[in-house]
Amino acid sequence: MSVELPDTTGVVEQSPEEIADLLGDLAIGRDDHLNAPGFVIKPDTVVETLRRLRDDAGFDHLSCVTAQEYEDRYESIYHLTKYADRTQEVSIVVPADKEQPVSQSANEVFRTADWHEREAYDLVGIEYDEHPDHRRILLPETWQGHPLGLDYDQDQPQVVPLREHANPLLEDQEAEGDSETMFLNIGPHHPATHGVLHIKTVLDGEQVVDLEPDIGYLHRCEEQMCQNGTYRYQIMPYPDRWDYISAGLLNEWAYARVAEDMADIEVPEYAQVIRTMGAELCRMAAHFLALGTFALDIYGDFTALFMYSIRDRERVQNILEDLTGQRLMFNYFRLGGVVWDLPEPREEFFEKTRDFLDELPTALEEYHDMMTSNEILQLRTVDTGVLPPEVAKSYGATGPVARGSGIDYDLRRDDPYGYYENLDWDVVTEDGCDNFSRLLVRMREVEQSARIVEQCVDLLEDWPEDERTIQSNVPRTIKPDDDTEIYRAVEGAKGELGIYMRADGTDKPARFKIRSPCFSNLQTLPEMSNGEYVPDAIASLGSLDIVLGEVDR
Amino acid sequence: MAVPLQGEVMLPERIADLLGLGGIAGEVVGGLIGALIVGNVMLAMTGVAGPWAKRKITAAFTDRIAVDRIGPFGLLIIVADSVRLLSKELIIPEGADRPSYDLAPIILPASALLGFSVIPMGSGIQLADPEAGLALVFAFASIASVALVTGGYASNNKYSLMGGLRAVAQNIAYEIPLIVTAMSVVVFAGSLQMSTIVAEQTSTLISIAGVSIPAWYAFVNPFAFVLFLVANMAEIGRNPFDIPEAPTEIVAGYQTEYSSVYFVLFYLGEFLHVFLGGAIMATIFLGGPAGPVLPGFVWFVIKIWAFFLFTQWCRSAIPRVRIDQLIEIGWKGMLVLSFANLVLTAIIVGVIA
Repeated sequence: MSVELPDTTGVVEQSPEEIADLLGDLAIGRDDHLNAPGFVIKPDTVVETLRRLRDDAGFDHLSCVTAQEYEDRYESIYHLTKYADRTQEVSIVVPADKEQPVSQSANEVFRTADWHEREAYDLVGIEYDEHPDHRRILLPETWQGHPLGLDYDQDQPQVVPLREHANPLLEDQEAEGDSETMFLNIGPHHPATHGVLHIKTVLDGEQVVDLEPDIGYLHRCEEQMCQNGTYRYQIMPYPDRWDYISAGLLNEWAYARVAEDMADIEVPEYAQVIRTMGAELCRMAAHFLALGTFALDIYGDFTALFMYSIRDRERVQNILEDLTGQRLMFNYFRLGGVVWDLPEPREEFFEKTRDFLDELPTALEEYHDMMTSNEILQLRTVDTGVLPPEVAKSYGATGPVARGSGIDYDLRRDDPYGYYENLDWDVVTEDGCDNFSRLLVRMREVEQSARIVEQCVDLLEDWPEDERTIQSNVPRTIKPDDDTEIYRAVEGAKGELGIYMRADGTDKPARFKIRSPCFSNLQTLPEMSNGEYVPDAIASLGSLDIVLGEVDR
Repeated sequence: MAVPLQGEVMLPERIADLLGLGGIAGEVVGGLIGALIVGNVMLAMTGVAGPWAKRKITAAFTDRIAVDRIGPFGLLIIVADSVRLLSKELIIPEGADRPSYDLAPIILPASALLGFSVIPMGSGIQLADPEAGLALVFAFASIASVALVTGGYASNNKYSLMGGLRAVAQNIAYEIPLIVTAMSVVVFAGSLQMSTIVAEQTSTLISIAGVSIPAWYAFVNPFAFVLFLVANMAEIGRNPFDIPEAPTEIVAGYQTEYSSVYFVLFYLGEFLHVFLGGAIMATIFLGGPAGPVLPGFVWFVIKIWAFFLFTQWCRSAIPRVRIDQLIEIGWKGMLVLSFANLVLTAIIVGVIA
């Protein structure tokens, strides 16, 4: 009984030495990370290196770009991996000059580098040559300094002259010449932006000519907040606030996994099962909300489907509340396990969970009756918002967005953690690449999550009473060795949620970088929407299922 | 003796008679009082429908309870909501094109109320019965698009503008099938006069076990009925054709910038148009105010509320089509079908009669 492993035939596995050979003179040094070989390259050879790795070694997924400042240099790290085999990772470390931190942009090889490098520039201050759109991304254009730089003065007043606050629409904004297009601000306050998102749209009649998401309204530099917290307890509450749509435990797992790997902490099997169950409950809750809000985008302001999905999410939340004591900000995971055991009486908890699982097929049938088999919905979603797999890969799309484009990629199976590899479940993919496929993927994933939860409940029920260890022995203070670096990811509700940490010998991380799946997924919106109608752009946005808390962090 | 279904005497004349007035004074006073009654009845129904019934119906569809705190069944929310809405600040956006901005919220409910003037509501309630009644009611109803485009344009807001443009595109696309389908009824009835159309439907279609089924045109020509129903939904801009408002796409379309009293007027106008749509359906397809046992006016109210219920049902359950799909359905589907229906009806009537 186990999950079917991905077909990795034809995926060549390279040893670090082979990668070193491949890179040849490009690599000027080694800087290995805990779970990935790291190669140092010159700042003007980024494109060449990444292209060689992508084309000749199959590293087709630029998962994350981490930027950081040391006492003597700046550094950009490109975390590469493969869609076909997630366990193969390689880090490309690009040092940049302390006085003039300039590095070549990777945008030419991986489109996802566009936003990631903008963020690196915004928060750390590294400049990227040949970048197509070198601007700040999270902070306002008027911001002084780079908050994650070492010499950043946190008390510096961010005085913005009044003229910067002038209403940009006060003057007549008519385009020059015979232009037939119209500029439209969708958001930051708009019923369909699922949070505070601003989309600058250029319309030709009802059709989208150009579209550009403008993010950062919810930015509060969670990375810096985590850098100010101790590993043991103070960081764990933050992940709950990234993807706050009931996906808390999935996020917590991202931190738990990276910190446990870094400090070499074992997690008891019993706690792994509880974690797996809790995480999948969270995934179901998150997907229910995704369904409901997608229905809102397609149907109108008040639909039965939205209420139905909220109703089902509510039932999941009740179970999660029993388990964790919380409904939104769970803070249930601890390094080395979970904070407490299942609620007593256990039978009642199991019964409640089973009741929910038993009624789920009926509920899902109802969704399928009202949604996926509805002809108008099909008319609206099939073949709209098309995201071809090659484009999705270039943008680093993951999660249901990637799986809706036929990319068979799921970290729970491809880079196993927790108890997933011992359970019987499937990775769901759809080949349609459109809004409908993404919807279907989420609906089918709910079924798979239910399967996982069911098996976990069975396991937990039969677990011998004297073996119920919920936490391993973890030192009160965790101080990983100086200059330990690690990048790990888990399958969050929206996709690959990764964290990069660098230790400096203290009990707080020196650099804490969050790789948000929504951030990368949202970047694909223009690809899906340009040339489509406004309603389709809105539907595509809904099908991406972004949470601004995670995009902006 | 019960009041005849369709009195020869119109409501204003009856009022004039009751008041003992004659001549021009009687016509004017009778007309004004009659219009006051009909207008107020309709506005009262809208008042019940908007703040209360709509919420209750939607809640029933979505497994909720909705308003139940104030008054029996939460009915007094109507009062509370009226006070709330009327006491809100009326915000006029910068650069709004006045007076068109102020006219639009008046035109919309007024056009709907005008339409009710020729509708036979049973129990002798009908303000006027001109020979071209059916044509007149469509003419009144379609003034609505003027209000929508005026409001959308005058608001100086791009979302409003898009909503207004969508409204016009939609109304043009669906008015033709709507009227052509209604013409097939005229072919049956042989008249545009509302009272004649209603009277024609009183005959018995078939008798099953002693229960006689009246020759309502919905039974005589169900195809036309369905066509008309769909075109009507588009005409009044309800789901799945609520494109001009499309809350998740263009915020609230033409009424984005309207607040307070103007917003109330827009809302009233929309509900009045829903009821007018229901009234037209009832009159030309469902036998007007006809029905067993209960008085005609009660049946009339039941029929238009049934249509209202139907619009709310669709709102809860059916996705919205896209604007291009809507136009396509209108021009390529509905138009062809409605003409086919008209030709077929003409042939059948020609052969039989």
